[in-house]
Formats: sequence, C-alpha cells, structure tokens
Amino acid sequence: MLRATAGLRPGTSSVIEVRDVRKAYGDVRAVDGVSFSVEPGEIFGLLGPNGAGKTTTMEMLEGLHAADSGEIRVLGMDPTHQAQAIKERIGVQLQTAALFPQLTVEELIDLFGSFYPRRVPVGGLLEQLDLVEKRNAQTKNLSGGLRQRLSVALALVNDPELVFLDEPTTGLDPAARRGLWQVIRGLQAEGRSVLMTTHYLEEAETLCDRVAIMDHGRILDAGTVKELVGRRFHERTVRFDRIDTLGDALLGGLPGVSRVAHEHDEVVLYTGDVPATIGGLLDAAATAGTEPENLMIRRATLEDVFLELTGRALRD
Amino acid sequence: MRRLVTLSRANLKSFVRNRAGLFWTLAFPVVLVGLFGTIFSGSDAPTFNVGWVDQDRSAASAELRAAVAANAPVTLVDGTLDAEQAAMRKGTVDGIIVIPAGTGGAIAAGRGGTATAPAVLTLITDPSRSTTSQALSQIANGIVMGTNAAESGRPPSLALTAQTIQTEQLNSVSYFVPSILGMALMQLGIFASIPLVQQRETLILKRLNATPLPRRTFVASNMVVRLVLAAAQTVLILAIGTELLHVKVTGDWLVIVGFVALGAVTFTSIGYLIASFARTEEAANGMTSVVQFPMMFLSGIFFPLQILPDWLRGVATFMPLTYLGDALRQTMVGGAPFAPLGVDVAVLAGWLVVCFGISARFFRWQ
Repeated sequence: MLRATAGLRPGTSSVIEVRDVRKAYGDVRAVDGVSFSVEPGEIFGLLGPNGAGKTTTMEMLEGLHAADSGEIRVLGMDPTHQAQAIKERIGVQLQTAALFPQLTVEELIDLFGSFYPRRVPVGGLLEQLDLVEKRNAQTKNLSGGLRQRLSVALALVNDPELVFLDEPTTGLDPAARRGLWQVIRGLQAEGRSVLMTTHYLEEAETLCDRVAIMDHGRILDAGTVKELVGRRFHERTVRFDRIDTLGDALLGGLPGVSRVAHEHDEVVLYTGDVPATIGGLLDAAATAGTEPENLMIRRATLEDVFLELTGRALRD
Repeated sequence: MRRLVTLSRANLKSFVRNRAGLFWTLAFPVVLVGLFGTIFSGSDAPTFNVGWVDQDRSAASAELRAAVAANAPVTLVDGTLDAEQAAMRKGTVDGIIVIPAGTGGAIAAGRGGTATAPAVLTLITDPSRSTTSQALSQIANGIVMGTNAAESGRPPSLALTAQTIQTEQLNSVSYFVPSILGMALMQLGIFASIPLVQQRETLILKRLNATPLPRRTFVASNMVVRLVLAAAQTVLILAIGTELLHVKVTGDWLVIVGFVALGAVTFTSIGYLIASFARTEEAANGMTSVVQFPMMFLSGIFFPLQILPDWLRGVATFMPLTYLGDALRQTMVGGAPFAPLGVDVAVLAGWLVVCFGISARFFRWQ
C-alpha cells in the first residue's frame, strides 16, 4: 500500500495538490501564491472575475505552463517531469474550443481518441454529449453550444480520472447551460473528479462541492458554499418594504437586530434571532396601524461572500 | 504509428476540404504548366535552323546539301564544327549535321557497287528539346536512307550516328516542366506555414499539447501530408508534361522521386521556419510571399540563370530552389547542369538541417 502512494505526500490521496504556486508574466503576477487541494470524486470550482488567474492556475496543472515556484501534484505526479503520464489520465477542455474546422464531429473524436493508449468508444461519447445527430457535421458549422459540448466530449475520450473544465458554460443560453450541468454531474456520478473555473455564481453554487474564490492571482477563501457563507455571515436578513412610520432607531432596537440597512425601497434588518426580530417587527407595525409588505427572510449568498471578499460584484 | 496515421489523415482531409487552398497549391501549378507548355511548344519552330558542317567539300556533298535544303523544312547554316557547336549552345541553330571527309568517295563507291565501309554522318541534337531532336533525326535519317535507296541491293554507302549537346535553349517546354514542378514543391512546402499558424492562432496546437501526442509525431505528420501532396502534384504535372506536352522524361525514376521528396521536405522546413516567426496568419502570408517571389524569378524557373546579371546570379546561388530546379531538370530531361547533382543534394540538405534547427529552437506551440 505504501508503494502505491509513493508519489504522494504522506497521508493524502488528493487528486490535485497545489502549494504556494506562483507564475508571473513580466510584471504581472498572474498567479501569486495559490494553495488548494481537490479530493477524489469532488467537483471543485475556481470562481473569480476575468483575469483573476483561474485559467493560468488550471493550465499549470494541465502541464501547459511551468510554474515559477511552488509545488504541484496532479494524480500524485509532478507536471513538469511527468507531464506525459499525467496527460494520459486527465481530460482537458480549454476556455476556447479549439477544433479542426474541416473535420466532422465523429472524425475529431476519433482523432483525439487515437492519441491515448486507453479510449472509450466514439458512439457512447456521442450519446453522452447528445451529439449523435451532428456526428457528420464539420465542426466549423457547429453552434456555440455544440462546440462546447464537443470540446467536453474530447476531454472525455480517454476515460479520464480527472477532468479540467475551463468556463465550460460561458456564452451558452440557459437551456444549454443546464444541459451541460447535467453532463458534469454525470461525470461526478461516474466517479471522476472535476476541477472547473466559472464566473457564474449560480453555477458554482449548484454544481460545486467546494469553491475557491480567486482575485488578483490569489485565493481569497475556499470551502463549501455553506462554509464560505457561514464564516462571514452568521446572521440572516429580514427584509420588507419600507414603512415610513417605523424609523431606523425603532427598528434597530428590535430584539436580535444588529444593523439596519436600506436597499432601494427595502429595509434590511441583520439579525441573529429571526423569530424574535419578526415578532418585534409585527408588534411594532401593528402599533403603528400597519403591517409589513413583502416580508422575507434570507440567508446570505455566495454573491454576498464574493462582494465582501473582492469589494465588487462578479457581473461587473 | 497509429497516431501518426490518424493525424496525417485528419490533416489531409482538412487540406482537401479547403477548396481554395486545394486550388492554389495543387491546381495552380498544373494550370501554369499547361499555359507555358502551349506558349512555348508553339515556338518550337516548324522550320529548323540546322548547322551544316561539310568536311568533305565534294560534288556529292554539295548535291546532298541541295537535296536537303529543297526537301526538308530546314534552313541550313554553313560553318565549321566548332562554330556550329557554339551557335547551337547559344540557340541560333537547333541541331548540327556533319558530313565527314570521304563521303563523296563512299557514295561514288556505293553507286559503282564497290563500297567497303560507309561514310558516317553525325547528327548533333539537344535531347531536352524532344520535338526538335525527333524532327532533326527524321531529316538526317531521310538523307541517309534516300542515298542508300538509290543504290538498292548494294552495301550502304552512308550511315548515321547521333551525338548530343546541352544547349542554353529556353524556349522549350522540356525546360519548364521540371522547373514548374520544382516551383510547385517550393510552394507546397512553404505554404505549410499557413495551417501551422492558423492552428496556433485557433489554439489547436495548445489543445494538442494538452494530450499525450508527442510533438515529433505532430511534426512528422506534417511531413507525411506534404509528401503525399508532393506525390500527387508530381503525378499531375508529369502526366500533363508527358501526355499533353510530349516531354520525354529520360532519367532514373528513383533519383527523380528522391529529389521530389528531398525538395518537399526541405521547403516544408522553410515553412516551419516561417511559422516559427510569424505570429499571425497575415504575417505568415507576407513572409511566404517574401520567400517565394524572389525564388520564383531568380532560381532559373522561368528563365535560365545564365541571362541574369552577375550579382543576381550570386543571389541565386544561395537559393534552394535553384538547386531543386537544377536537379529536377538534370534528372528528368537531361538539362544542362548548373551544379553537379551531389552539390544539389548537399545544398538542399543543408537548408533542411538549418531551417529545422532554427525552428526547433524558436517554434511556439501557443
């Protein structure tokens, strides 16, 4: 058993381990001391705006760039020295679908399959990615969604243990995006590990077991969405349409309320005790001869975390 | 091996499905051969200038001259053997007929039935000008057979031997067919840079780099594709040259195939060199033009190097196409050598090694 894990750090079986990795292009520190690990069977998301260093990080793991410093282990191996062995066991989908324009879908899958010692049948892949009808279409004639599905198919020709997906759903319409989410969940169900980048919060929230939030070449925080939110936002918010007769001073004095904020025409009460706050609110409103409209209780979301960490909204 | 085959097949399919590329690389040189063929085979004049070297100076030789001048489509130019050979090299006469001393005596002996040894006439032609040399050999045979027939039943008094001479003659389709084949191989090779740069720009090279495909297999596959295209190109041009333009290919096929392959690989290495330094497809297009046009016009493709001024000929001696064209002309139609074949091989191989060496150092996959 010890022999089998000889290439790994003692006590770990992570499919990816990254320690303090740096990569600069001239003066630009694209990746500036990144550490994280991906466990077997996990969908791990790198979330961040464009230019955050997600793609550079991923491409160092794929063996496409060498890191300036730091340690990388992919499937227990070092990409600078064991690139070939790693490449045989991973699947890669680049941010831009790079396809031979004059080849058909089936020819291209067949071509990529021939590069690997171990390959899955073309027919199965066509079905899995719903490309059967397009098997004889030249790739230059495919729509954006089909190109994206084909480039995911190409990432799976070698039955990889670990799949890298770089913004797989960018530019897709909502239906196509949900379709691809199904495919990615399917990869997990088949026992594969997935490292993906995205700049869609919703995608990270619904798809990823764990998320690392990146900006300016650094990982600001990492964990499950629940952990990320819980670490920063112990409180929930109680929201309702503004009632003019209830002033901030009164609302701030309600049980459990730590802070009062206004968003548009909405009052936002941050509270550690939702039932007490709502009870107090309803009483106060009744006393004033009214009741709150559009009353809502919300926990903080990944978006709030992102805003808090980076100081900006992701969709800017 | 399986990877090499599938990748080469994929690249070939891509090439063939790109109609515009197919036309410019494969069909255009064929059109060019056809065009030049028709223009220049037309100027293989219906009347020939023939050097007439009379070393006999007898009444009988004068009689022969009068008969030839009257009956054959020739203009006879009298002179010494040296003078006529010089004229033939310059292209002012198309061939030479030598009447040896003793011809008059041999004919007289033949008529009297006492011939012992026939007088041997010499016909000198340029074998690379196949139409002309065939016509002249018919004329010379006509002289010999006509004279011998008049004394039928008796031993012949005249015989014919053939000699060849290399001329600088340029208005011959035989010159163009191997030359344009050389040009086509050059274009096929250096235009390998365009798909390479396209594949880099569209990140296909990067994507391939993320697979276990070894880079050497990728490079080898490009070579295989260019060699297959070169073979197709050679067959097309030679078919037109031999079937439509009646060019006689005389050389050893194995040597010809060897030079076609060496030329294709050498120019593909120049294509790699261009792809190593061109960042965009536009830049690659510009660079291929810069490389191909001087070679097209200064490497003896459309006109022989001898008519260039010295300094331009100096430039030509560095160009690989000079040597490929030279080697193909020598081996295919017995053209006059610019350099010995060994030098042609050495120069082409030298370019191949240097261009690949530089490309291996500077080529970027992404």
